[in-house]
Amino acid sequence: MKKHGFVYEFKKNKALFFMVAPTVLLVLVMSYLPMSGLVLAFKNYRFDLGVFGSEWNGLENFRYLFQSGAGWLITRNTILYNLLNLITSQGLAIVVAVIISELTGRIFKKITQSVIFLPYFISWVIVGTFVFNIFNYETGVLNNIITAFGGEKVNVYSMPGVWPWIICIFNAWKWVGYNSIIYIAAITSIDAECYEAADIDGANVFQKIWYITFPSIRPTIITMLLLQVGRILRGDFEMFYQIVGNNGQLYDATDVIDTYVFRSLLTNSNFGMTAAATFYQSVLCFIIIMVVNQIVKKVEADYALF
Amino acid sequence: MATATVERSNKIKLTSSRIVFNIISYVFITLLAALCVLPFVMLISGSFSSEQAIRFNGYSILPQEFTTEAYGVIFKSPEKVLRAYGVTIFITAVGTILGLFLLTMTAYVISRQDFKYRNKISFFFYFTTLFNGGMISTYIFYIQYLHLKDNFLALILPGIMNVFYLLIMRSFVNTVPTALIESAKIDGAGEFRIFVQIVLPLLKSGLATIGLFMALGYWNDWYNAMLYMNTETKFPLQYMLYNMLQKQQALAAIASQVGIKVENLPSNSLKLAMAVVATGPIILFYPFVQKYFVKGITIGSVKG
Amino acid sequence: MKKSVRIVSLLLALAMAVSVFAACGDKTSSSSSKKEETSSKASTASEGSEASEGSTAEGGSDLDTSKEVELVMYVVSDRPAKQDDIDANFNKLFKEKLNCTLKVNWIGWAEYPNKYPLLFSSGEKFDMAYTATWLNYSSLAQKGAFKSLDEMWPKYAPKNFERQSESALQQATVDGHYYCIPTLLATYSAYGPIYRTDILEGTDWNGKMENFADLEAYLGAVKAAAPEMEPYNVYQSGSEVDNMYVQAEEGYFFTKGVDFLFFDPSAENPKFMTWYEYDGAMDFLNMMKRWNDNGYFTKSALSDTDSQKVQTGKAACTIHNIDTYESRAIDKPEWNFKFANFVQDVSNLPFTQDALVISNTAENPERALALYDLITSDEDAYRAFYYGIEGTSYEIVDNQVKSLDSDNYAFSACWAARTSEFNLPSYGSPEDVKTWKDSFDKHIEEKGGEGSQKYQAFVIDTSNIETEFAACKNVVQQYWWPLELAYVDLESGLADFQSKMEAAGVEKVREELQKQLDEFIASTK
Repeated sequence: MKKHGFVYEFKKNKALFFMVAPTVLLVLVMSYLPMSGLVLAFKNYRFDLGVFGSEWNGLENFRYLFQSGAGWLITRNTILYNLLNLITSQGLAIVVAVIISELTGRIFKKITQSVIFLPYFISWVIVGTFVFNIFNYETGVLNNIITAFGGEKVNVYSMPGVWPWIICIFNAWKWVGYNSIIYIAAITSIDAECYEAADIDGANVFQKIWYITFPSIRPTIITMLLLQVGRILRGDFEMFYQIVGNNGQLYDATDVIDTYVFRSLLTNSNFGMTAAATFYQSVLCFIIIMVVNQIVKKVEADYALF
Repeated sequence: MATATVERSNKIKLTSSRIVFNIISYVFITLLAALCVLPFVMLISGSFSSEQAIRFNGYSILPQEFTTEAYGVIFKSPEKVLRAYGVTIFITAVGTILGLFLLTMTAYVISRQDFKYRNKISFFFYFTTLFNGGMISTYIFYIQYLHLKDNFLALILPGIMNVFYLLIMRSFVNTVPTALIESAKIDGAGEFRIFVQIVLPLLKSGLATIGLFMALGYWNDWYNAMLYMNTETKFPLQYMLYNMLQKQQALAAIASQVGIKVENLPSNSLKLAMAVVATGPIILFYPFVQKYFVKGITIGSVKG
Repeated sequence: MKKSVRIVSLLLALAMAVSVFAACGDKTSSSSSKKEETSSKASTASEGSEASEGSTAEGGSDLDTSKEVELVMYVVSDRPAKQDDIDANFNKLFKEKLNCTLKVNWIGWAEYPNKYPLLFSSGEKFDMAYTATWLNYSSLAQKGAFKSLDEMWPKYAPKNFERQSESALQQATVDGHYYCIPTLLATYSAYGPIYRTDILEGTDWNGKMENFADLEAYLGAVKAAAPEMEPYNVYQSGSEVDNMYVQAEEGYFFTKGVDFLFFDPSAENPKFMTWYEYDGAMDFLNMMKRWNDNGYFTKSALSDTDSQKVQTGKAACTIHNIDTYESRAIDKPEWNFKFANFVQDVSNLPFTQDALVISNTAENPERALALYDLITSDEDAYRAFYYGIEGTSYEIVDNQVKSLDSDNYAFSACWAARTSEFNLPSYGSPEDVKTWKDSFDKHIEEKGGEGSQKYQAFVIDTSNIETEFAACKNVVQQYWWPLELAYVDLESGLADFQSKMEAAGVEKVREELQKQLDEFIASTK
C-alpha cells in the first residue's frame, strides 16, 4: 500500500476534516492552552511571581506524597478500589441491562428501569448521612436490628476490613441505573432479525443472551472498561470523604490519593503540591492506559480507544 | 419499528428455561428496585420532617412531625428560585443540543475506518482526560484571555466535549454498518448529508443515552458556576442551592473563630429538600427519553 | 506507542509555547512586586515603627485626596439583600472625609475555598481584602500573596498603627515584612466547657466546674439524668479536650497553627514536646477511656458530620471559647448555659487571626490604608461601615447591639475591622461574659508580658518543612484523633502514633521550629 501524506488525505476527506474541526478547535482552546499550568507541579509557586515567574524546585512538590511511606499505600488503595468498583459496578450494570432487555412486562420494565436510576440523584453528602444512620454505634439501624435479635452491638467504624465492601456496594448501587442505560442502549441497537432467526432455530433465552446479546455489546463493554482503566489512579473524592469522614481508624483501608491530598493541603494554599499530585496521577494513568490500549490493539484492533 | 419488539415478545413460548429466567429476573430486579426506591422515599419524607426529628431519630419511610419548613427556606424568595430554574433549563437545553450534535459528528468522523487520522484525533481528545492545566491556570486563562467571567459560555463550553461520552458514542456509531455509508456515497451523497440523514436516525438510543447524560451533567453542574459566575441573577439552580447549604455549614464552622452569631437553619431537612427541588424536574423528564430504550431496531427496514 | 509518545511531546511543546504568551499577563504584577520588595528591604520592621512615632499626627496630610477614587475590598460572606443601602450610607461619609467610595465584593460561602486563593493569583485589580487564620493567612503571606506594608502602614494608617500592640506587630511580620493589619479586637486563649445546667436542676449535682474531675462528675450526672443525650459533644473534627488538658494541668502553650507540639512557657529555655513525650499522656488517655467506656461521647464520633449537636439539644456540653459560649447563651437562654475557663495562663490570641491585607494589584493602596485607618479610629465611620444604618439595620439597647431585619441586612463581614473600644456585645449576651473577659485582662496585666502572652507573638514559618509538616498533620489526624478518644488500645496506639510521627519527619519539624523559637527568645531578650 502506498503511503499518502496529509495533503492527499485532506483532499480526499475534506468534509470529514471540516466536521471534526469545531470540536478540535474547542478542545485546543479550552483544554490544551491552559495546560501550560502543568509546570506548576515543578515550581515553588509564589503569588507575587505568578505561574511562570515562580522558581523551579524540581521534584520537591512530590515529596509530601511519599513522606512516611503513604504514597505507596494510597496508590495501591486507589488502584484496588477502582478495580473493585469497576468489576462490581460494571458487572451489575451489565447483568441488569441484559435482564431488563429480556423482560416482557412493559410496565414493569419501564418502572424498574426508572427506579434504579434514582440513586444517581442522591448526592454523596446525603449517602454519607444514610451510611452513618445505618452503621453508627449508638443509634444505627444495624445495631438496632442486632440488639432486637438479642445480639451484641458491633462497632463498624472501628473495623477497617469491611469498608472496602461497604464503599463498593454503595458505589455499585449509586451507578447501576446510569451505567446500565449505556448497555440497554447498546442492546436495543442489536438487529432484531438476529433474535428472530435464533427463535426459529429453537434457541432458549440463556443461549440467546450468550450467543447474541453478549457478543453484540462486547465493543461497548470493552470501551467502558478501557475508559475506567484510564482513570484508575483517580479516586472519587466526594464518595470517600462523605462516607468515611475524618475517621483515621479506617484510613489504612480507605485512604485514596485524592483524600490524602485534600487532608495534607487543607491548611496550606500550595498550588504546586496540588498540581504535583494531579501530575502523578496523570502520568501513572497515562502509562497504564498506553500499555492496556496497546495490548487491546494487538488482540482486536477495532476495540482500542485510539 | 415499534411493533418489532411487541411481536417478538408475543412469539416467545414459555419454555422451562424461560420460566426459570423469569423467576430469577423478576425477583432480582424487584429487590434491586426496592433498594433503590427506598432511600429516595426516605429522602422525600425527610425533607418534610422537622429538623429536630431527623437529628434525633434519623430518616424514616414516613415524614416525622410533618412540616414544610425546609421548602419554606428554599422558596423564601420564589422569584429567585424560578429564575435559577430558568438559567439551568437554558444552559441545559443549549448545551445539550449543541453538544450532542457536535459530539456525535465528531464520534462519526473518528469511527470512519477510511479516515486515516481517526486514531490520532481520538488520542488528541483522550489526552485531555489524562492531563489538565489545573484550577489556577485554567481559571486565569478563561478569565483573562477568553473573557468568560460572568458569561454563560463558561457554563456551556466546558461540557460540550466530554471525552467519555465521545468514546461511548463512537462505540454506538460503530454499530452502523459500513455498507450503508458506502452505498450512500456511491449514490453521490455528501459526507455531511450521510451523517445527518443516514447515521443520525440509526443512533436514536445512543443519542438518547448521551443526551440524557449531557443534560444531567449540565443540570447538576455547580462547579463552573462557582468559579465563573458573579451575578446572582445568572446563577443556575444547583449553584444557588449549594450556596445556601454551604453558607450554613461554613458559618457554623467559623462562627466561633470570628465570634459572630449564626441563625439556625434546618440544615438536615434543607439538604434533603434541596435534593428534591433540584432533581424533581429531571426525573419527570426521564420517561420521555426512556421510550428510545425499549424499541428494538431493525436495520433491515432502513436498508430496504 | 512510539507515535503516541511523539504526539504527546508535540502537544506539550504546544502547551509550552502558549505559556510564553500567557506569561505576559503575569509579568506586570511580578515586576512591580519585586520592586516593592527591594525598596522595603531598606527599612526593617522595627525601624518602620520607630519612624512612625514622630509623624503620626500629620501622617494623613501626606495623602493626596484631590482625585476621587473607588476602592475595592473583598470579604468572605454572602452578600445581604439590601447591602446597597448600607454601602450608600457609608460612602456618603467616606466621600466627605477622604474623597473616596468603597465597593465591597463578596466571595460567597460556597466559593471561598477555591476562589479566595485564586483572587491573589488571577491578577484581578482590587485594593484590600479580609483575611484570617481559617483563610490560610500565614501560608498565603509566606507565598507572597499580599503587599508589604512596611512604609505605608505607619504613614497612611498612623492611628491604627499606633494602637497595635508590640505582639500584634510581631505577629504581622513575615520574613521581616508586615503583610497584614491585625485586628484591634482582643480575643483570649481561654478555653473550657460550655455546659447546660437546666438538665441537672433538681438533681444532687454539686454545680462545681473548676477542673477535669468536676467536668467528669458533670458528664456522669448528665448521663444519669438524660441518658438519651450525648454528654460531651464530639463530631468529625475531633475532640478539643487534648489541648485543653495540657493547658489546664500543666500550663503548657500551643503555638497557633501547630497542634501537635507544645512547650512550657514558664521555662527558661522552653523545648517543644509532643504527646508521647508528655508525662501525663497516660493519665489523660485513661481519663478519655473512662469517658468512652461510660458512654460520655459517641463511639462513632469521627464519622459524625453533625456539628450542631449542642445547639439542637443532642449534646449537653462542648469545649470551646468564650465567644462560642456567648452565642450559645444568646441562642438558648432557657438552657442556662455556663462557661468555665480551664486554661491556666490565659493570653491574647494572635491578633492576626482576623486581619486586613492590601493586594499586590492595588491601585490606591495609600487611600485604602487611610480609609481603614478612619474605620478603625472614628466611631461614626466604624458604625456606618460595620453595623450599618442605625434604626434600620441595627439599634443599640443598653450598650448592646441588636441586629434589625436580618433578612435584608447583616453586619460587615470584614470582622477584622472590630476594635476593643468600638465593639459592642451582642444583644442578649450573658453578663458573665464581661466578668470573664475582665478577669482575663487582669491576668494578662499581672503577668506583665511573660508566660504565654510573650509566646503569642511567636510566628512559625513552615516554608522549609512544608512536606514534613503536612505529613505530621496527617499522622495526627489518622493516629492521634482515634487514640485521644480511646477508640484504640492506649499503650499500643501511643507507640504506633510515635513511630508514625517519626516516620513522617516530626524530628525535622521540631528541629526547625525549635530553631525559630530559640531565635525568637533571643530577639526578645
